[in-house]
Amino acid sequence: MGTLVNAENIRGVYYTEGKDVVAVNDVSIKIEEGEVLGLAGESGSGKTTLGSIISLIARPPLHVEEGTLEIDGQVQELGGHAKIPRTWRGAVVSMLPQGAMNSISPTKRIRQLVYDVMRSHESKISKEEALDRARERLTTLGLPARVLDAYPHQLSGGMKQRTVTIISTLLNPRLLVADEPTSALDVTSQKILIEMLLEMLEKRIMSGVIFVTHDLPVLRTAANRIAVMYQGKIVELGPTEIVVERPEHPYTQALMSSVLAPEPAYANTRIEGMSSFDRSLFDAPAVFH
Amino acid sequence: MALARYIGRKVAWTLVVFVVALLLNFLLPRLIPGNPVDTIVGQLAQGGGAGGEQLQQIHEQYMKEFGLDKPMWQQFFIYVGNVFQGDLGTSFAQYPASVNTLIAQALPWSIAIMLPAIIVGWIVGNLLGAVAAFKGGWLDRGAFIGSLFLSSVPPFALAIILLFLVAVKGGILPVGGAYSFGLTPEFSLAFFGDAITYWWLPFWSLVLVYIGGQAVGMRSMAIYELGSDYVNYNRGLGVKEGHTVRYIFRNAMLPQFTGLALSIAALITGGLITELVFSYPGLGSLLFAAIGQNDYPVISAITLLITIAVLIANLAADILTGFIDPRIRAVQSGER
Repeated sequence: MGTLVNAENIRGVYYTEGKDVVAVNDVSIKIEEGEVLGLAGESGSGKTTLGSIISLIARPPLHVEEGTLEIDGQVQELGGHAKIPRTWRGAVVSMLPQGAMNSISPTKRIRQLVYDVMRSHESKISKEEALDRARERLTTLGLPARVLDAYPHQLSGGMKQRTVTIISTLLNPRLLVADEPTSALDVTSQKILIEMLLEMLEKRIMSGVIFVTHDLPVLRTAANRIAVMYQGKIVELGPTEIVVERPEHPYTQALMSSVLAPEPAYANTRIEGMSSFDRSLFDAPAVFH
Repeated sequence: MALARYIGRKVAWTLVVFVVALLLNFLLPRLIPGNPVDTIVGQLAQGGGAGGEQLQQIHEQYMKEFGLDKPMWQQFFIYVGNVFQGDLGTSFAQYPASVNTLIAQALPWSIAIMLPAIIVGWIVGNLLGAVAAFKGGWLDRGAFIGSLFLSSVPPFALAIILLFLVAVKGGILPVGGAYSFGLTPEFSLAFFGDAITYWWLPFWSLVLVYIGGQAVGMRSMAIYELGSDYVNYNRGLGVKEGHTVRYIFRNAMLPQFTGLALSIAALITGGLITELVFSYPGLGSLLFAAIGQNDYPVISAITLLITIAVLIANLAADILTGFIDPRIRAVQSGER
């Protein structure tokens, strides 16, 4: 198992009127072949921003000032006005959006999007072939092929999220960046979606997943490793069990203790309140297990 | 099946509205104070030559002829019966000309101005709005300000400005009328070449206003769609911009269809008044003259025509929206 993705020195800044907000501050991260890397943290910690930079969809007001992304030995410059080839998106790195509800145009059938995604990368593909491939993928993963003929409003929330997951991975991307894919789902649908993601990983449809979420119990079941972000930096990174059960960084400890269904170790401790920005947390050295 | 039920519902509603409109069309002109026969007889008396008793007889004769001596509800049923046989009645003021003839003379002129104005205005306006939203920058600013200005000018005001600048001061195009004195309307190249010089100004006064209104609406819709989740997702999947643009256009188009139907009444009214500015011999000039003379059958006939045009436009827009947007179809036909 080698390294699949190596993202280095990523710095993402929101250019807003008045002052610039540094959302991702010089972050480097590696994703191993075949793993799910959880990216956790509170709102505003920069995890979604990091996710969108790695999935190559940063756009104003977000500016990538620095950073490189290395996949399969190919290095892509991200900073400044670097030209990112369109075909990387979807085929090399793909995204699974936050709340799939509005991710498909309400006036198009699913098959239209499927066809447009396929032919944007393979200009010669016929409509039949594109749909055949999608149909095969759907049935392999236990979804009825008729969702292709549906409009988005005809699918339930869970079904829509699973359909979008399949569309996101139609082109067998190397890396899938999933941004809060389970947040809008009930617990059963969450479980089904995570099982599907793991199955896809096992089938090598994609080779790695970055799972961005604030939902720690979900990460506990899905992720091999967890990176915890705070104020634009990764403060702790390690295998899931260690980060969840024996976190060393004070922010991770506070985050874990705030989970409503806590790990046994925290079951009897009092929940400490946290201020929005704690200097001591920020100054504490990052922990890499 | 769902589509058939959707269309059926829309047609049924249109018919209900049509019946109500028919009643109002009949009633409203008759609520204008004054009696058309009084006007006619008054004119006769001014001319002299007829004594009091004769005038009395003529008055009764006309009342009978026009059916005005009968109670209002009977008049209504006679009117409805005639309308459904395609007979719009006899003009009071231009007796004994039939309303059908008067309308047949005027209608082609109005259609010649309004139909191209609506179609050209809608297409150009929407394209302009969409392109402005995509390109942004100076093009957007220029198009937006220009459109906003044009859409807030009433067509007749623009007509007067154009008339003054192009026809009166510039002398480039004729001032009024529909064709040169001495010609008779016919299907020949010579007549067409003459008539089109009269056609330009009324057409432009309508189409400019209309382009402005459509462009402003389309621009905001397209900007809204550009920021939506599906555009972002398409981008993240590397979908070509050319494909995504079609998604955006289709969604931004929806309110524009409804807007088209809603604004058609305003456009027709604007067109009628514009005809007056240019003394264009269409329905507007006919209607204006008829109102001045309490000519009930002519007024009713023209308002009826406008009503039908607006109803058909609304029906067509509803059906088209149903075709474009599956959600509307689903809600209307009670299915998912």
